[in-house]
Amino acid sequence: MAKVGSPEELARIDYSPPKKSWMDIPPEFREGRWCYGSKAKDHAVVGLPNPRAWSPADEDWKLPDNWKEIFLEGMRERLHKYRSFQLFMDICVRCGACADKCHFFIGSGDPKNMPVLRAELLRSIYRGEFTTAGKIMGKLAGGRKLTYDVFKELFYYFFQCTECRRCSLFCPYGIDTAEVTMIGRELLNLLGCNIDWITGPVANCYRTGNHLGIQPHAYHSMLEFFCEEIEEITGILPEPSFNRKGAEILFITPSGDVFADPGTFTAMGYIMLFHYLEGLGLDLTWSTYASEGGNFGFFTSHEMAKRLNAKMYAEAERLGVKFIIGGECGHMWRVCNQYMDTFWEPPKSLETPVSPITGTRFEHAKEHKMIHICEFTADLIKHGKLNLDPSRNDPYRVTFHDSCNTARGMGFFEEPRYVLENIVNHFHEMPESTIREQTFCCGSGSGLNTDEFMDMRMRGALPRANAVQYVHDRHDVNLLSCICAIDRATLTTLTEYWVPDVEVSGVHELLGNALILEGEKKRTMNLRGEEFPWVEEEEEEEVEEAAEEVADEEAAGKAEGEE
Amino acid sequence: MRTLEYEDMKIEVDDEGYLLNADAWNEKVACALTLTVENVDACDLTEERMEILKFMRQYYNRFESFPIVRQVCKNVHQANECLYEEFIDPIQAWKIAGLPKPTPDAIARIRHEL
Repeated sequence: MAKVGSPEELARIDYSPPKKSWMDIPPEFREGRWCYGSKAKDHAVVGLPNPRAWSPADEDWKLPDNWKEIFLEGMRERLHKYRSFQLFMDICVRCGACADKCHFFIGSGDPKNMPVLRAELLRSIYRGEFTTAGKIMGKLAGGRKLTYDVFKELFYYFFQCTECRRCSLFCPYGIDTAEVTMIGRELLNLLGCNIDWITGPVANCYRTGNHLGIQPHAYHSMLEFFCEEIEEITGILPEPSFNRKGAEILFITPSGDVFADPGTFTAMGYIMLFHYLEGLGLDLTWSTYASEGGNFGFFTSHEMAKRLNAKMYAEAERLGVKFIIGGECGHMWRVCNQYMDTFWEPPKSLETPVSPITGTRFEHAKEHKMIHICEFTADLIKHGKLNLDPSRNDPYRVTFHDSCNTARGMGFFEEPRYVLENIVNHFHEMPESTIREQTFCCGSGSGLNTDEFMDMRMRGALPRANAVQYVHDRHDVNLLSCICAIDRATLTTLTEYWVPDVEVSGVHELLGNALILEGEKKRTMNLRGEEFPWVEEEEEEEVEEAAEEVADEEAAGKAEGEE
Repeated sequence: MRTLEYEDMKIEVDDEGYLLNADAWNEKVACALTLTVENVDACDLTEERMEILKFMRQYYNRFESFPIVRQVCKNVHQANECLYEEFIDPIQAWKIAGLPKPTPDAIARIRHEL
């Protein structure tokens, strides 16, 4: 990490407020704290506005001549369209309850990363351009005009927010600052000012069905590779099905799970679980078309989120399945749980999800017809349907990171913990103020998981890392488990930098370790191919026992001979 | 765009050092790329390293995707961490294999040198 200072340097944070008023401080694009601009070729794929070669470091961002008009018209339209946005522009009393709740403020000390002030960047334009008091009194009424510098400032700070909503939790008015960021990004987007790490995956997803640009035959070959790995570990070769019409369930997971470690081990866990359940009546198919659970359109605009989400129901309808199970992902669930059934009318073939193994009816999913794999698995465990050996996870001392979107977006706290309780023997929670609804962001969500942003990422990661360090010091925790594919990538960097002795895993990787498949061979290694520490001891014992037996037999033979 | 000169060859790469014409790759081109990518004075592409590069190229030709890192190692019958042991960084190996820059999401998900 050449561009980022040492953890000791980064942890020296200056919280002293600047002497001048925030409006008088122009934005300074500091190295490691902004993301590369979106590329023209990706704009072209999905028809995003203003395709051109540009960089946020340039003085001229090559905006259209009427950029101000476009921005303000976009704002007017959204104030009218989203009552929440109008409300959030009007009601903040600047009490400051949210100020120190943001991981980016905690890690950077930059006052404009206080959620109240980040929203105020836009709110001040609202006052200055849309309200009578603001138009007349300007700064006195907290208003300001939209200028080029102000526009650049919006870009800098709205791409320094991960839309995690921790601040919202503490707001006495319930202002959802993430929604302010979302609208802010939509407005930037109207002028073609997005970031490469968002529009690249968006264009890929539109073209190939997933963010990584994995084509169907590659997707298939990746899953085949996992099956071979599973065979090596368990002696059993699962045979998942793809794009199978008439299946009862469609499974969709983020593409990160099939592409890179440690997500790939979680994918192996899913495959093993589905194989195990086949004998109990599970009828499930994967899809190489709906091959992405995540949705980077969500970090672009509501419209783009809707476009990229379309394939989920379209594939469910094409295959004629009854419901969808989704894999371990964060923002996917914000979209699926809170937006999908208002984006679209669910296809007629879909029904309220009912577990074919336990008969449990998932009433809470009756609108969108999709359940989280952890709900499905927790229910299986509750009904005693899984044969588990948690001791296979004994080398791990585990804690659990609640993903912002599943935690604050769905209230999804107990199911993953229930699964973990049943598959590991050593589990330790991080401090209360850093888990469940108060969970701290990984520092790189909402499309900010990019190398050039590393300084800010590691700063934003600091509060979560502190909590991990806490359980590492007190309980020797060496594994940070999570249920989000972005987390599996970002937390790996976080721990490497801040708490190097801790690894990262998905929950279903640990399930795969513990799950006893029918007819499996004696397991000697975990899903990562690492030999269990007791295997060597057991082998030594076996050799000793065998040697003793031989010695006994020889002694007996000798005795017989003597007789 | 930049031009690398190596022995009697002129090799065109983009600003980040990715080979512009993937089809123009051969072992000699790989040598030229390793000098700049790995910042070394002499070409040290052992048989093990070359096997990795060739597999990555085959994989790309078939799937137009970056492979799963340990899938590479398994296919060339080397240890699971072969890309890190032989090249320190899988993205660097990809570059020496003369392949186009992977997607930003792919780069972010592969543990690599920054």
